[in-house]
Amino acid sequence: MLPRIIRHEWRALTADATLWVVGAVFVIAIGYGVWNGAHWVRFQRAAIATATLEESERYGRLRQQIEELARGGTVSPFADPRSPSNAGGRLGPRYAVLPPAALAPLAVGQSDLLPYYFKVSTDSRDAVVSSTEIENPQRLLVGRFDLAFVLIFFYPILILALAYNMLSAEQEQGTLALALSQPLSLATLLSGKVLLRAAVLVGTVVLCTLAALVVGGVDLASGGALPRLALWLGAVVGYGAFWFGAAMLAASLGLGSAANATVLASVWLMFVVVLPAVFNLAATTFFPVPSRMELVQAVRVASDEANTAGSALLAQYYEDHPELATGDAAQAMNDFNVVRVAVNDDVERRVRPVIARYEAQLTRQQQLVDRLRFISPAVLMQSALYDVAGTGHARHQAFLRQVDAYHAAWRGFFTPLIFQKARFADYDTTPRFTFEEEAPSTVAGRVLPALAGLFLPALVLVWIALARLARFPIV
Amino acid sequence: MILRIARKELLDLLRDGRFRVLAGLVLVVSLVSLGAGWKAYADLSAQHRTARQATREQWLNQPKKNPHSAAHYGVYAFKPASPLAMIDTGVDPYVGVAVWLEAHKQNEMKYRPAQDRTAVQRFGSMTGAEVLQVLVPLFIVLMAFSAFAGEREQGTLRQLLSVGARPRDLALGKAVGMASALALILLPATLVCVVALTLSTSEGLLADDPTRVLGLSGVYVLYFAALTAVSLWVSAWASSSRLALVVLLSFWFANSVVAPRVVSDLAAWLHPTPSAVEFQQALDADLNDPAEMEQRLARRRQELFRQYHVDSEAALPIAFSGISLQEGEEHGNDVFDRHFGALFDQYERQNRTTQWAAIVAPTLAAGGLSMGLSGTDFAQHRHFVHAAEAYRRGIQRTLNGAITANQKPGQVYLAGRELWDQVAPFEYAPPPTAWVLRQYLPALGVLLAWLVGATALLLRAASTALVD
Amino acid sequence: MLEAQALTKRYNGVTALDALTLTVAPGDVFCLLGANGAGKTTTINLFLNFIAPSSGVALVNGLDVTREPLETKKYLAYIPETVMLYRNLTGLENLEYFAALAGKPDLSRARMLAYFAEVGLAAEAADRRVGTYSKGMRQKVGIAIAIAKGARALLLDEPTSGLDPKASNEFSDLLRRMSANGVAVLMATHDLFRAKESGTRVGIMKHGTLVAQHTTDEFGHADLERVYLEHMRD
Repeated sequence: MLPRIIRHEWRALTADATLWVVGAVFVIAIGYGVWNGAHWVRFQRAAIATATLEESERYGRLRQQIEELARGGTVSPFADPRSPSNAGGRLGPRYAVLPPAALAPLAVGQSDLLPYYFKVSTDSRDAVVSSTEIENPQRLLVGRFDLAFVLIFFYPILILALAYNMLSAEQEQGTLALALSQPLSLATLLSGKVLLRAAVLVGTVVLCTLAALVVGGVDLASGGALPRLALWLGAVVGYGAFWFGAAMLAASLGLGSAANATVLASVWLMFVVVLPAVFNLAATTFFPVPSRMELVQAVRVASDEANTAGSALLAQYYEDHPELATGDAAQAMNDFNVVRVAVNDDVERRVRPVIARYEAQLTRQQQLVDRLRFISPAVLMQSALYDVAGTGHARHQAFLRQVDAYHAAWRGFFTPLIFQKARFADYDTTPRFTFEEEAPSTVAGRVLPALAGLFLPALVLVWIALARLARFPIV
Repeated sequence: MILRIARKELLDLLRDGRFRVLAGLVLVVSLVSLGAGWKAYADLSAQHRTARQATREQWLNQPKKNPHSAAHYGVYAFKPASPLAMIDTGVDPYVGVAVWLEAHKQNEMKYRPAQDRTAVQRFGSMTGAEVLQVLVPLFIVLMAFSAFAGEREQGTLRQLLSVGARPRDLALGKAVGMASALALILLPATLVCVVALTLSTSEGLLADDPTRVLGLSGVYVLYFAALTAVSLWVSAWASSSRLALVVLLSFWFANSVVAPRVVSDLAAWLHPTPSAVEFQQALDADLNDPAEMEQRLARRRQELFRQYHVDSEAALPIAFSGISLQEGEEHGNDVFDRHFGALFDQYERQNRTTQWAAIVAPTLAAGGLSMGLSGTDFAQHRHFVHAAEAYRRGIQRTLNGAITANQKPGQVYLAGRELWDQVAPFEYAPPPTAWVLRQYLPALGVLLAWLVGATALLLRAASTALVD
Repeated sequence: MLEAQALTKRYNGVTALDALTLTVAPGDVFCLLGANGAGKTTTINLFLNFIAPSSGVALVNGLDVTREPLETKKYLAYIPETVMLYRNLTGLENLEYFAALAGKPDLSRARMLAYFAEVGLAAEAADRRVGTYSKGMRQKVGIAIAIAKGARALLLDEPTSGLDPKASNEFSDLLRRMSANGVAVLMATHDLFRAKESGTRVGIMKHGTLVAQHTTDEFGHADLERVYLEHMRD
């Protein structure tokens, strides 16, 4: 019975010329979206390559310079590559890089806004981490035409366009009574119609995306890609299920085609355009992020206090780090670099509670906002897609944590050298950064709740729709 | 005749249940967004005031130190909030709020508010601008799609024409009627906005605000008039109200949702920008030019030797170290101007492309003008960055001048409060409305073209296509 | 085959059908006569389980239609007043689809053409899109579906309205043949002439009540009309 209905529906759908046109537009949109994402990934990779090249060329020059100095050259103390404070500070910083994840072309996400490489030196953490990628702010405001955009906005429209008159058209055409006078339940008929449309749409999305990814040079068989692909598929099916559920519920109410269209269009507008925007308004009004301007001032005040107490701090520092106290304490006090390390350490210590308080507030606000994303399937879909592509907030936070650890390790490497006033010779020993990619289980742990938030309401909608079919006015 | 038709249209609309519901929604949403925008502006202004005072005090309270140390200590400049940002926040979330003005470096503005928020915010916030550029156009479409097509289907159109009503008058009458209905809905929000702006008399920004508010209203009036004309034209031309609705909804979707993104990508493709790494590399390469510095210093040395009739640095009555520092600054400034200038020019080229692309999507023009008049577009951000940079250069000139004048050989020159006081506090004045409008002449032109074109098409469709 | 036992339907306090009791045996052609709104269509909708009865029971082959909705539909065939088919499909494709839904998939083309011939549709029409068919032709397709299905009971709603005399005549022949095959026919109609011609029994409905039942042998044409009008007088 069901396969028969499905086959019939396929014929009916393919006979409609407008659907071919709309379908073609959709396919082009998907292709362009993935291409755009891939283009951005290429840009990121090129920038990372430039950085890596710059670093290795710089290191080459520094090594050369050291050799020249060994042979008897001269250089000003501020440019001396053998000084550990120069090596760790101005001359020898390395890049900490966040490579695009396996399926990054699927969504540009936040990756155009959140920086993906930092030059890590002995500078303060804030100085290191506040650099950004170059982008026209008006472009950041508008966003990109990526696959996530197509799936969040277009895909429901297509679903609703195909499904809004599933039953109402048959009713208005007059064929519904004849069909239902056969031993066929309305639920079976509706299910057949929905299954065909779902198969066609989800199939189109998946095939086009996979084709576009392969053409874009993404290695789908790589370790990170497959689990993410599975999650992505879940998101596409789940989001589709929600909208098909909505269409089924509308169909089961027995209104006419025009009324159905109006109701479903309003639902789309509500969930995809209005709710997220109102939600953002509420978030910025009731859960505002703490003020960076205040933080800047607090940090300045702390650093001023630390600088004023410069030499006293050094004594304190030696007390805290006895292993670094070499014999000549008096001379060290005059040593600019050594004092600076002590001062920086004190600044960081004073500033840490201010920053910690700030970041705790920030995280709290972000978590509150995150919890409320279940308010709209469009927001859930966005969070799922961004997490799958690795361009969301969470992966970037993981990157920042790793950068922090690396920054601490970098400082930990150079501080003893500065105190020992050793001659720094081997640039190859400086710590390197490799981003530890998140385990698929971590990603899944973030995406699965979003998927649940899509599937559960979908199931509820379908269940209510099927229940209401009993009262469908056939005549 | 036109007014009579307009009056009837207005009455019809006001009694329509659909209109009431939608109008109520638009009213509520616009007032809520205005309220939220006002609160955000108030908070931001307070933060800005505190920060400005604090940084000024920190500058003045510096202990005695060498002026060059003070130059490295530097000062923070904070971007003030524009009152009209309560309507259109524009690019403000995506540009930094603070810039550190220190010696030798033109720093970038830091701490973009958007980076602290989560991904949801990329959906856009329900600001006044969002209501006006996304929801109100939809409202216009829903009110206007059946204006002609619906009357044709009902049969009332035939009756109107049979009593001798001129199609032209009908078209214009309907347009005026709808415009009045729209004005009625947006009037409360506009009044609230004007009152709120009058109350925000801080920062001396009020002087220019009335013209900006007028300009902003004018832009939206133009935009809505154009959209009303387009919607009525489609309603007159389409063979059924269902077709009119589908066409207009597709236009709304393409215009408000799709076009901004597609055009943004196009603009970036036409006028690409480098990555930060490349930019920094190029900048560093030009900054690090010892040959150029040598030339500059040699030239200055010769000038000064001639001026003071001496032949060695030691014999100069002034400290050459100060001159040298200033020359370093000048060299740096040239390089910065070249590189940042090129980068910002590229952004502006991208934004100009967007304005011209409004030929296919009028939202792009209205959006640009709205941001511009609210003071939250890139051009005005650049204006602030330029002002802050000019202030920084002023500081360096003052401090280096002090070194030049007062540093004696063999002594450590320490300056104190008298020198810090010589640096005036940073006062930023936003550009006048005329300057803003000059940036957006293409957008204005395109919007006008839309209005004129749509009206012409409407009048033509009215006279030919109205009869069955 | 078809049995109504005190079948009642009430909408919002209005009684559309009041305790209808009738039986249609195999081979019977029972014509329900009555004005618009008398309850004829309601009766048919109740047998089809398109609406639920307020009280009473409708039985098809001894089975309650509300308790066995799918099973009972296997025995029924329904020809509405305007037979609407899928316009973009041919006659054969429509027959194939509905027959498959009815539980008779895999009909061979020859067999389907045979059905078409049986109902009087030309073979060349079979491959034309149904959008080009006349009303009579579409009705014939409906009957072909009933035959293909092997239905034991036929429910017809105003079948001859809009048909020209020739088509009406062909329809009568069809009915006679089906009745001869043992199919029970319940026909709601205004057409007194056709009722006398094709029907074996008539029932007269007025305001939801079956006010009279007769066999058609009892009258001639003129008498039937007189009896009908007498009942219709308030």
